[in-house]
Amino acid sequence: MTTTDETRSIPIVDDLTSEIPPVIDEEFTDESDEVEAFRPSKAGWFARGLVWAVLAWLVFAYPVNFFSPFNVGVSDADTASLAVIFAIVGLSLNVLLGYAGQISLGHQAFVGIGAFTSAYIVTDLKLSFWLAIAIAATFGAVQAAALGAISLRVSGLYFALVTLAYGTFAEEFLFGITALTGGEGGKPAPRPVAFADEYRYYFLCLGFLALVLWLDWRLTRTKAGRGLMALRENPRVASSYGINVKAYIMLAFVVSGLFAGIAGSLLAHHDEVIVGSRFNFQLALIFVLMTVVGGLRDRVGVVIGSVFFALLGSGKLVTMLNLGGFFEGVLGLPTEFVALVVGPILLLLTITKYPGGIGQQVAPIRVWLSGRRFDRHAGAVQEVEVNDVRA
Amino acid sequence: MILNELGIVLVTGVLQGSVYALVALGIVLVHRASGVFNFAQAEFGTVALFGAYAALTLWGWSYPMSLLFGLLLAVAMGLLTERFVIHPLRDHSRVTLLVGTAGVALAVIGLQFWQFNDTLIMSMPKIHDGFYVTPFGAPVSVQQMITVGVLVVVTVSLALFFRSPSGLAIQAAQQEPTAAELVGISVRQVSMATWAIAALLGGLAGVLSGPNTTFTAGFLTFGAGRALLPGFMAAVLAGMKSMPGAVIGGLVVGVVEQLGSLTVFVELPGARAAMLFVFLLGVLLVRPQGLFVGRAVAA
Repeated sequence: MTTTDETRSIPIVDDLTSEIPPVIDEEFTDESDEVEAFRPSKAGWFARGLVWAVLAWLVFAYPVNFFSPFNVGVSDADTASLAVIFAIVGLSLNVLLGYAGQISLGHQAFVGIGAFTSAYIVTDLKLSFWLAIAIAATFGAVQAAALGAISLRVSGLYFALVTLAYGTFAEEFLFGITALTGGEGGKPAPRPVAFADEYRYYFLCLGFLALVLWLDWRLTRTKAGRGLMALRENPRVASSYGINVKAYIMLAFVVSGLFAGIAGSLLAHHDEVIVGSRFNFQLALIFVLMTVVGGLRDRVGVVIGSVFFALLGSGKLVTMLNLGGFFEGVLGLPTEFVALVVGPILLLLTITKYPGGIGQQVAPIRVWLSGRRFDRHAGAVQEVEVNDVRA
Repeated sequence: MILNELGIVLVTGVLQGSVYALVALGIVLVHRASGVFNFAQAEFGTVALFGAYAALTLWGWSYPMSLLFGLLLAVAMGLLTERFVIHPLRDHSRVTLLVGTAGVALAVIGLQFWQFNDTLIMSMPKIHDGFYVTPFGAPVSVQQMITVGVLVVVTVSLALFFRSPSGLAIQAAQQEPTAAELVGISVRQVSMATWAIAALLGGLAGVLSGPNTTFTAGFLTFGAGRALLPGFMAAVLAGMKSMPGAVIGGLVVGVVEQLGSLTVFVELPGARAAMLFVFLLGVLLVRPQGLFVGRAVAA
């Protein structure tokens, strides 16, 4: 009985499909034109301009006490520089973890090598800071390339172990060579005379952040960037489209090492005395944390995430928001450990609930700021995942 | 002279290696069950250690009760990790899972800093304050002998357990989850059980190695009793799947690390870390499938 029923119903379906009216093309194109043609009103432009101005003030004027009702001290400007340096580190890790899908648990060593190279060149060889930062960046790139060459031979997650071992090796062995790094006492790394002042040094760091952001943007906009994106998703398919998987992974390592070298050099001259024990495994974990929480593959998100963790780690954010009383009084949590307690919780929330990280959260505002309509769902990531290349 | 020194290296290496072996066993177990590189494995140990420390010195419990409390704390942490991190992320890529376990480790370290920030450097009495002296003149404490003994007991009981019906069920679920579900094994329960056992092993490593020295937050991850990286290396030697391999691997890694403390290397800073790095690279580049996996070993 049932089979005959089903066979009878088939002609009805046929009828239905034949009755569907043809799609009118014009209506569709009209609608899309309208979306394209959205221009904010005068008030809209004014509001956007105002927010831009506030942002610019926050970045350029607030930390250096210029045009500001708040009196920001020297140590706060110092923290601001550190936040900018962390942003560069975050972008460096983002190239590896976000673009190429290679996890690095030894990124503190990348930064550290840049730091000690720069300190050695300025202090022992008495050469200029500009040369030092260039050589530090080169050194960072070279050591990253060496590690990348190993990574191409080691499959999948084992590479995470290699970076972990490399980080420990660098911290204890490389940074322990007293002749080069000054051992326990540390290595002095004086700032260039023109930027010795904390406020000026902050602008120097900002300048390098801009350079790194530009390089990163260029990387994603070129064939290499698209190649990296493709091979992260699926290396086999990518290579069948003629993408040289190994070369592009090496490129990602070199770029990441370059950024890390710059960050390291800036960090050395920021601290002015650099000690090997600063580059411990905990720092590497914080780096991974801030990049993932910031939102992989999202430049703005990574920068915000890194700045957030730098400020949180130095305790400045808690003081700024007057949360010291809450954390110390109510929870009994000292300010210096807030980052260690809050950070991992944010990380776990990010990877389980909001894989797009901070970048996803701020995307609607970013879209609005760039002169488009406010869209609450902007930047929603369909499939963001820390993908593994060869796992 | 050099032979004598090598003897000391061998003895201290094996003693230290037994802690690594306990950590490695947990790593291998978890990797077989969830395919995860568990970076929180060593933190199970630190949590157990801090639990035992708090119970013993702060609350004045008896020693066995403190140890039990510490181990239970570690098991609870293992189960919570499975429930709130591993299970929700089961469909994600393995790098995401790795970042997740690293997050768990860091969260726990943060909690330790928070709760124990009054006394940053802690110490705990040993089970027994005795010293043996071995033929090579290496001082061996009773505590270390107990650690080796525990490792032997754990190895034997794990071997027996994986031949029992429930042990076989765990193996089945790890090798072929779908087929195991079809014959009535709850893969979910197996996953929970595996994480609990792994956490217990990590906890044992913590409470046994902690009293040997003073400890701080993150003791087994990056502190003085660093066992995470050596544990992983031992697991690599075991091809991430062989349990006896993990035990032997732990001992081998312990000895290799101790080679760095030979007088030949006294000039070099951090020679042990260098030893480990070179050894890991060598193993991964030459024989990535592991050293101690000849045939397809089940348990």
